[in-house]
Amino acid sequence: MTKKRERLEVIRDILSSVSGGKSIKPTRLLYASNLSPQMFKDYVDELIGKGFIKVNKDEQEHKTISITNKGIEFLQQYRAIEKFVVNFGL
Amino acid sequence: MDIYNFLLLNREILKIISTLFIVIICLLIVVRTNKLFKLSSHSGIRYFRNAFFFYGIAFILRYLGTFLSTFLFPYREIFSSICLLLFEYFIIMAGFFLFYSLLWKRFEINTRDYSSLFNPRIAIFYVMSFIIAILDYLWSTYALMYLSQIILFAIATFIIIFNNNLQKKENFLNIYSFVIALNLIMWTANFLIAYSFNWNHLGVIAIYGLNMIIFFLFLFEVWRFTEIRQYD
Repeated sequence: MTKKRERLEVIRDILSSVSGGKSIKPTRLLYASNLSPQMFKDYVDELIGKGFIKVNKDEQEHKTISITNKGIEFLQQYRAIEKFVVNFGL
Repeated sequence: MDIYNFLLLNREILKIISTLFIVIICLLIVVRTNKLFKLSSHSGIRYFRNAFFFYGIAFILRYLGTFLSTFLFPYREIFSSICLLLFEYFIIMAGFFLFYSLLWKRFEINTRDYSSLFNPRIAIFYVMSFIIAILDYLWSTYALMYLSQIILFAIATFIIIFNNNLQKKENFLNIYSFVIALNLIMWTANFLIAYSFNWNHLGVIAIYGLNMIIFFLFLFEVWRFTEIRQYD
């Protein structure tokens, strides 16, 4: 049985899905995140609140999600946070 | 004048210096870990940060009780005893926070609903700390504080070594587990010096030194793992 993902791992996975300048539809991101719709919404709201991702709308009001600079920096810092958590047994 | 006499004569000054040293270290740890918490919203980091926030408050109170109380004659006795009661309360609470930072995952499922300072589990620690501090105050002793911290750090040492071993870390005896074990040694030595050696002055000074080393190592570890670019 695979181990349940930690919260930080879920955030990393979501951000990784939209990294590299990709801007993807929320439904595609939901599938990529492998979360339930409710949990996905909670995480996305949190990430928007933290300024890690942003929602874009085109002329037809179609929504897409992309990563912000802050989100890119978080991904870069993820390893450091993970190391801190592991080192201190948190 | 030899070094022993020098230390003994300046015991109170050494106490103040060590207290201020620890307060500054706690402040630095709180600032560093708070930035990391803001970035990650990780509850373990939050409890860890809270521990040093409470240690900081505790040592500020000790500073007030030791140093500033000398200027408050004739209220010195009352002010000093209240400060020491609060010092004990906050230091026990800090120990609980550090301990709980290792265990929170087992008890909290939806962590985003919790406040790290006021939640039902932390409330138990507040009550326990209050009872221990009050009983010690009423009985004019520190024994319960020492015993509670010895038990707490004994279990914490076991948990850390067990978890590290379970995760098959290469260096399962890392610096942090060493510092936690050092805390256990420090509290045990403190207890023995107080009650088996009748507060031997040199022993007490050695505890100040050991305490400073412990907090320095805490800071060293935190600094090492928070060398990341911050943005607010």
